[in-house]
Amino acid sequence: MSANRLSGVFVACAGLLLLFLIIPANTETVDYGRMRPQTIPDLCAILLVAFGVLHAIRPRGEVAIEWREVWRFALFATIAAVSLFLMGRFGFPVIAPVTALVVMLLIGERRPVWLATGALIIPAVVWLVVVQLLERTLP
Amino acid sequence: MPDMDVLLAGLSDAFSLVNLLFVIAGVIVGQFVGAVPGIGPVMAMAIAIPFTFFMPTLPAIAFLVGVNKGGLFGGAIPAILMNTPGTPDAAATALDGHPLAKQGKPVKATKMALYSSITGDTFSDIVLITISAPLAVLALKMGPVEIFALMIFAFSVIAGLVGDSMVKGVIAAVFGLLCATVGIDPEHGTPRLYFGFFELFDGLPLAAVAIGMLAVSEILRRLASAGSTPRSAITSLDGDDPTVSRVSWAEYWSCRYVMARGAVIGTVLGAIPGIGSTAAAFMSYASAKQASDEPESFGKGNIKGIAAAESANSAVMGANLIPLLVIGIPGSIAAALLISAFKIHGIQPGPLLFEQQGRLIYGLFGAMILANATNLIVGQFSLRLWTRVISAPESVIFSSALLLCIVGVYMSTGGLFGVAVMLVFAVVGYVMNVFGFPVVVFIIAFFLGGSFETYLTQTMVILDGDLTRMIDYPIAVALVVLALISVWWLGFRKKG
Amino acid sequence: MKKLSTFVTALCVSFVLAFAAHAEWKPSGPIKLLIGFDAGGETDTLGRVVAKAMEDQTGWKIIVENKPGGGGIAMFTGLAVAKPDGQTLGMGVNMPILVNLVLRGKDLPFDLDSFDYLATIARAQLAIIAKSDAPFDDMAGLIEYSKGDDGALIAFDAKPQELLMNFVGGASGANFKLVPTKSSAEMIQDILGGHVAASFAAGAHIPYLESGDVKMIASANDGRHSYAPDTPTVKEQGFDIFVDPYFFIAAPAGLSDDTKAALSAALNEAINSDEVKAVIMNTLKTEPSDLGPQGTTDMMTGGVSNVAKLFGK
Repeated sequence: MSANRLSGVFVACAGLLLLFLIIPANTETVDYGRMRPQTIPDLCAILLVAFGVLHAIRPRGEVAIEWREVWRFALFATIAAVSLFLMGRFGFPVIAPVTALVVMLLIGERRPVWLATGALIIPAVVWLVVVQLLERTLP
Repeated sequence: MPDMDVLLAGLSDAFSLVNLLFVIAGVIVGQFVGAVPGIGPVMAMAIAIPFTFFMPTLPAIAFLVGVNKGGLFGGAIPAILMNTPGTPDAAATALDGHPLAKQGKPVKATKMALYSSITGDTFSDIVLITISAPLAVLALKMGPVEIFALMIFAFSVIAGLVGDSMVKGVIAAVFGLLCATVGIDPEHGTPRLYFGFFELFDGLPLAAVAIGMLAVSEILRRLASAGSTPRSAITSLDGDDPTVSRVSWAEYWSCRYVMARGAVIGTVLGAIPGIGSTAAAFMSYASAKQASDEPESFGKGNIKGIAAAESANSAVMGANLIPLLVIGIPGSIAAALLISAFKIHGIQPGPLLFEQQGRLIYGLFGAMILANATNLIVGQFSLRLWTRVISAPESVIFSSALLLCIVGVYMSTGGLFGVAVMLVFAVVGYVMNVFGFPVVVFIIAFFLGGSFETYLTQTMVILDGDLTRMIDYPIAVALVVLALISVWWLGFRKKG
Repeated sequence: MKKLSTFVTALCVSFVLAFAAHAEWKPSGPIKLLIGFDAGGETDTLGRVVAKAMEDQTGWKIIVENKPGGGGIAMFTGLAVAKPDGQTLGMGVNMPILVNLVLRGKDLPFDLDSFDYLATIARAQLAIIAKSDAPFDDMAGLIEYSKGDDGALIAFDAKPQELLMNFVGGASGANFKLVPTKSSAEMIQDILGGHVAASFAAGAHIPYLESGDVKMIASANDGRHSYAPDTPTVKEQGFDIFVDPYFFIAAPAGLSDDTKAALSAALNEAINSDEVKAVIMNTLKTEPSDLGPQGTTDMMTGGVSNVAKLFGK
């Protein structure tokens, strides 16, 4: 089965899951008025099932999976997520420079001037502008 | 006819040195802050408002108008140069702006955006200044039923943008609508699909989803595809070569119909509160593509695509002031921010505004014209500046952009929760991209989905649950017919 | 220039007074004021001017943070678990909190006792309005009108308003068709365009009262409005129900008495300062009204039973 066809199957399954499990469990029942809280979500779920099946039967368009990029995307997304988690604990001033440094090193930046710019000057400027000048808060 | 003395007094207030300085400062702040990835024009205004508490009234309003107008153009800059739009309307600009920038013509692309943005803006300002009162009265005739019909029409035009697979487009749109239903339901006020996160009572934060899907997703993708040899984030062939970087008069003039249509679409949608610039930008873009002799050149760096999107989304803001000033109704978040600035200074926009505050309003009109001129001049410098900045190594640009998106979303959603939502949607956006589901269609449906459900609910209440009763509303009927024609025409053009 | 020097003098005087009054307790660092709504809205504006006035008067450093979500639920959820040292305060509107406490109290991670209430800032004035050429002038007339063929379309933008109309409808047999909207601006638009018969309004309608485009049918509060002393309340018109939205400030429960006294005194002083008064007048068209710690607590507990009545519980 091609990845394109598989995406249709996935959409249809997600629609079913929404329709029978997720939406009923996460909405409240109301018995008056013109629309129910579920009306539009249910409609969306039904359409997802219908069009997912349609796509699985007759896949159109292209799917271009480049595994190197996918893995590296996952890597950088994970770095961002970990950095968020740590920011909540240790704060922007500590974590932002580290994140920037790790990201820059990972894509091959080795020149000290640029490393310093990205990992020290930029976070410092952001922090100064937001916290000192605008008196807003950062994590 | 307005009192000549009041008009002249207002204009001379506008052209006073202090006011002029505040307009210029506003435009510079707007262009600069609006261009920072993850911050954007609305955030720029929200940040600027507290600073105007203690300023005199006209300079305060003039400053905010400057920030807003500067921000409208500023928002197009990262969209064009880095393909990281922070708002859906800038995403329309990126469709052709970024391909043109990638061809080595970033200065030309941003210039086209600047000129068409100012063209649309000036058009709608002129409409505002000359015929706002009758237009506002017309706009009032648009009730919930009519606005619902108008949305149907807008959707039917935008549907022309769905790419090579109609089915994938529909799935993306439905998914966007589904995401828009998270939060309080419009009729009964019950929370839906919030999974125990009270932050989601108000729905998925718009800024977080837009920045996540459009900007962060692209930033992470660029990081992922970066090779191990350092290179610039963008290569500018045109640099200082005037033959490549120029937008010639002939090129500008060739876009006249596109820009005129964009300006009219933007002005009409701006004057009717409730729909806004996302729909305007994409309607204008889609109709420019449909009307073109070579629709296949759109999305590959056609300057007409930039002109269509920018003229429409900039026209919305001027026209938003029509219902704001004449009847006190804000048509967008930026307009709502402007109203709160008015209120802080003890001015209630509404029916008596022109009578009681005539001088201030003419001052404001003067300031708007000034801001447009300033925008044009400052824009020439800032687009060169940004092109230079972005030609720094991509390691610095994209790591900084990532930090800025985190900071911007943190500030606008008030916590790390919003940033987490941003990251989740960055991943969703990437996955959709890989499997060929159009992200832009998702974003349009997501941004308009909330209003769509609200107007549908209102329409159902008003029509007693029977949609065929719409026949009693002639404007609505006309709009639905137009929608049908547009769908038929789309199908017809595709075959022909 | 003269204005500036008076301002500076006033500032110095209030500094001295403030230090005299709050000698017992002083924050050991900046105070965080969390706002349960987005930047740029009414609550945000009020919170920021109160914070500014308090800074000027006491010399304390106050940082304002926006924590929007669920009409304040998200912010209060965080506030409930903050340290009760007087350095974290939260500002919200009572109605969404009360409604959620009554409707889904068991799902919420806090209850009324999770907070120490310090002050109210003002009461929003909620009116029921109609276009001036509407064929009715009061609640009785509106009810009569609704019994016609098509019923009466009434726009609202918050749950309690819907419930109030349902209560009136239930008691009188009126045929109200309630149109949900998202903002007071949208309601004004529907009224002026003639798309609904009546709607709620919280201040945005006042210029239209002056211009004669709109008339006021009733006050929905537990009292008449300062700008329309002749328009009776819904309660006075025979329906024992009202909605009183208050902007209030609370801290996590467990403040020491010193802290509570110092904070509420500082807040009271700030709320009644001229700058804050002017902004409240400009945005809400009403006077500041600080009920004090005890009054605010009573307002919240009384609010729960009133909202329960709205829901018919």
